Amino acid sequence: MANEEKNLRELAGRIYDLDEEVYRELGSSLGRVFNGKKEDCIEETVRMMHERNQAYILRSELALISNMARTIPDRARKRQIMMKYDEILKEVTGLPTSFIKGDILDQKMAQLNSLNLRSRFSENDHLIICIGRTYGCGGSEIGFTLADTLKINYYDVEIFDEVLKRLEAEKTSVRDRGGYPYKKGEKDDRQYLNEMPAFAPAKKSTLKEKFQEFNRYHGLPKKDAVFFNQSDLLCDMAKKEDFVVMGRCADAILTNNRIPHISIFITAPLEQRIHRIMEVHRAENEKKARRLLMKLDKAHVKYYKYYTGRNWGKARNYDLCINSASYGIQGSVDLIMRMINKEDK
Amino acid sequence: MVKKCVDYVGSLLTMLACSPLTAYASEGAAAAKPIPMWLCIPFAGLLFCIAVLPLVKGEWWESHQPLAVAFWSLLFILPFGTLYGVGTALETVLECLVNDYLTFIVLLFGLFCVAGNITMEGDLAGSPRVNIILLTIGTLLSSWIGTTGASMLMVRPVIKMNAWRRNRSHILVFFIFLVSNIGGCLTPIGDPPLLMGFSRGVPFFWSLHLFPIMLFNMVVLLVIFYFIDRKRYCRDMARGRKPDISKPGTKIQIRGLHNLIFLVMIVAAVVLSGVLPDQPMFQDAAGNVRGIHIFGEVALSFPAIIEILIILVAAFLSFKTTDPVIRKKNHFTWGAIQEVGTLFIGIFITMQPALAILKGMGAGLGITEPYQMFWTTGVLSSFLDNTPTYLVFLTTAGAIGFTEGLVTTLGTVPVKVLTAISCGAVFMGANTYIGNAPNFMVKAIADENGIHMPSFFRYIGWSLMVLVPVFLLDTLIFFR
Repeated sequence: MANEEKNLRELAGRIYDLDEEVYRELGSSLGRVFNGKKEDCIEETVRMMHERNQAYILRSELALISNMARTIPDRARKRQIMMKYDEILKEVTGLPTSFIKGDILDQKMAQLNSLNLRSRFSENDHLIICIGRTYGCGGSEIGFTLADTLKINYYDVEIFDEVLKRLEAEKTSVRDRGGYPYKKGEKDDRQYLNEMPAFAPAKKSTLKEKFQEFNRYHGLPKKDAVFFNQSDLLCDMAKKEDFVVMGRCADAILTNNRIPHISIFITAPLEQRIHRIMEVHRAENEKKARRLLMKLDKAHVKYYKYYTGRNWGKARNYDLCINSASYGIQGSVDLIMRMINKEDK
Repeated sequence: MVKKCVDYVGSLLTMLACSPLTAYASEGAAAAKPIPMWLCIPFAGLLFCIAVLPLVKGEWWESHQPLAVAFWSLLFILPFGTLYGVGTALETVLECLVNDYLTFIVLLFGLFCVAGNITMEGDLAGSPRVNIILLTIGTLLSSWIGTTGASMLMVRPVIKMNAWRRNRSHILVFFIFLVSNIGGCLTPIGDPPLLMGFSRGVPFFWSLHLFPIMLFNMVVLLVIFYFIDRKRYCRDMARGRKPDISKPGTKIQIRGLHNLIFLVMIVAAVVLSGVLPDQPMFQDAAGNVRGIHIFGEVALSFPAIIEILIILVAAFLSFKTTDPVIRKKNHFTWGAIQEVGTLFIGIFITMQPALAILKGMGAGLGITEPYQMFWTTGVLSSFLDNTPTYLVFLTTAGAIGFTEGLVTTLGTVPVKVLTAISCGAVFMGANTYIGNAPNFMVKAIADENGIHMPSFFRYIGWSLMVLVPVFLLDTLIFFR
C-alpha cells in the first residue's frame, strides 16, 4: 500500500514538473494549470487519483497542460515535452478506477496528526498546537498556561500585529477579525476584555481612503489581505519554532500547507461562559453578556466558514475537543499535557 | 402578455410546420428556385462537431479541424452546385468569403495582434471586487473599441490577475456575456450589426438610447457574478490558495501602451467601412459601391479594401514596434486566431442556406411586436451570424409600413422595434460560443492558459441559467 502511495506521489510530482516545464518554456506570465505550491498540487492530484469521481478532472487538467505544450514554438522541445506528456497520460489512464479501502482513517488528516503518526514528525518539525475556542470558556488562559508549561511561545494578537507591520497598515484602520476583543496595557495583555469589538462594523472611509486601501491590499478586501498575510506568517513561523496559536483558522491553514500540528477546540456551556465573563467584566449584566457571546459565536462561525469552508466547533475538524467546564483551566492544560507527553515530543 | 407569447410561438411553429422541406430565397441567383431545408444539414453537422468532438475526441479534433470544416463545406457546396449550377455555387461561396468572411477575419486578426502586444504587469489579486471592476471596464470599453477589441485587450489581464485561483472558468463565461457581447450595444463600433444599421440610415449615436437597457443587464449580471465568484473565491481560499501579496502596495505597469494608437487605427478603419460606401466617390452611376470585380456579381469593394489595408498596416506596425518579450509574457500564440479562422470559414459557408431561408421567411413570419423581434433576432443570432440576422429583421420591420419611428433607408421603423432588434442581435450573441467571434477567441485563449472552459453544451447551460432569465426580465421591462 505504501509503495502504491509512493508511486502515485511520484506520478503527481511528474505531472506538476511537466506543467512547470511547459510554463517555463513558454515564458508566459498569465498563469498555469497547477498554480499553487508544489506540495499542495501534488497532494490535490493524489487525492484526485484516489477519488473515483475526480479522475475526469485530472484528465482534463492534463489536457490543459497539453494545450499549452502545443503552443511551444521550439519544435524539438515541443516534441520532447509531448513525449513526456504521452507517457504520463498513459500511466494516468492505466490507474485503477478505485482505491477504496475499508479503513475509516483519513490519510490526509492522519498524516498531520502527531498522535497518530509519530514518524511523520522529523527532527526538523516543530510542535505546533492550534487552539480554537469560544469566548468566555477560558480557552485563552488554557493556551497561555499550556505554552508557559511547555516553555514555548504563545501567539494570538501578536500575529495580527506582525501582519499590520507587513501591510504597513495603521492599527486603527484594521480589525482583528481572527481574534477576540482585547485590551492592551492591562496587567496581562491576554486577559481579554470587551473594549475593542473585533466584529464591529468598520467605520466609513472616504473615497480617497478607499482607493489607498485598494492599492495597499492589492485590490483584495482588507480582511482577506490580513488573512492571507496571517497564513504566510504562520507557515513561516512553523518552520522556525514550537508554539501555541490561538484561533485565526491556524488549524486549517496548517492543514492546507501540510504542516504537522495538533488542533484543539475548547468550549464550555453557554451558562458557564456567561457566568465567567460576568466575573471578568464586572459591569456586564447577564442579558448583555449573553448577547455578546451569541454575537461573537455567530461572527466566529461565519469567519471560520468563510476562510476554511469548515464548520467552526464541529468535532470532526479537530484532534481533540474539550469542555473546559468539566476540567477547569489547569485540568484542561493537564489533559493536553498528558496527550503530548505520550508522544515524547 | 402570456397569450401574446403563446400566439407568437404558435405562429412560428405553424410557419415552420407548413414549410418543413423548402423555403424560398428572396434574392441572389438562387432566388428563382426554392432552397431545400436539408441544405442546412452541413451547418448543423459542423455545429455538432464543434460541440461534441472536443468532448469525445479532443486531440483528434485539435489536429483535424480543417478537415472537418472542409468536409462539411463540401457537403454543402457540392449538392448546392448540383442543384443550382457550379457558377451559382461558386458565386455564393465567394460572396460570403470575400464580402463577409475576409473583413471579419482581418478585423479579428488585427485586434488579436495589437491587443497581444499590450501586457499588464502587477500584483493586483483577482477577487470578486477586482473582477467586477475589470468586467465593468471591459463592458464600457466594448462600445468604443468593439467587442472584439475590448475582449482581446482585457482577457489577458483578467486571466493573469486570477492566475492564483483554481475556480476561474466562470469569470471568463461572464467576461464573454458582458465584454464580448452586451457591452457592444452603444455604438456602431461596438458590434457589426449596429454598423450595418448605421450604413442603412440609423444615426451613429442613436444606439446610445440602449444605455439604460445595457446598464440594467450589466448590473443584474454583475450582481449574479458577484455571488458566484464570491462562493468560488471562498472555496479557493478554503483550499489554501493565496495570491502573492508579500510586498506592501500594488504596482501596476502596462507595457506596450503605444499599441493603443494602432487600436484606434483599427477602430477608425471599422468606422470608415461604414461611412465610405455612402460617399459619392465610392459609388458608380447606378449607386453601387465600387470595387474590384472577382466573379459574377461578387466584388471586393474599395471601402472594404481600405479597411483591410488599414487593419493590416496597424497589425504590422504593432508587431514591428513592440518588444517580443511582451508577446512572450502574454503567451501570445497563433492558436486562438487559427482556430477561429478555421472554424468560422466553415460556419460562414455552411450557414448560407439557413440565411437565405431566413431572408425568404423573414417577412412571412408575421413578427411585428418588439418582444417578438427581440427573441427571434436573438435566438437566430445565437447560432447564425448576427449581422445578416439583424439586417433581415430590420428589413422586415422596415417593410411592414410603420408610419412613426426612425426613418432608415429600409423604411420607417418604430424606435421600440429597432431597440428590440438591436438588443436581440447584440445581446444574444452571448448565448453560444459561436454566437459571436470574440466568444470563441476568449475561449481559445483561456484554454491555452490553463483555464478549463466549459464545453459547448455546458456553456449553453450557463446561458440558459443566467442569460435567458435576464433576457426575460428585459422583455417584461423594455420590450412589452
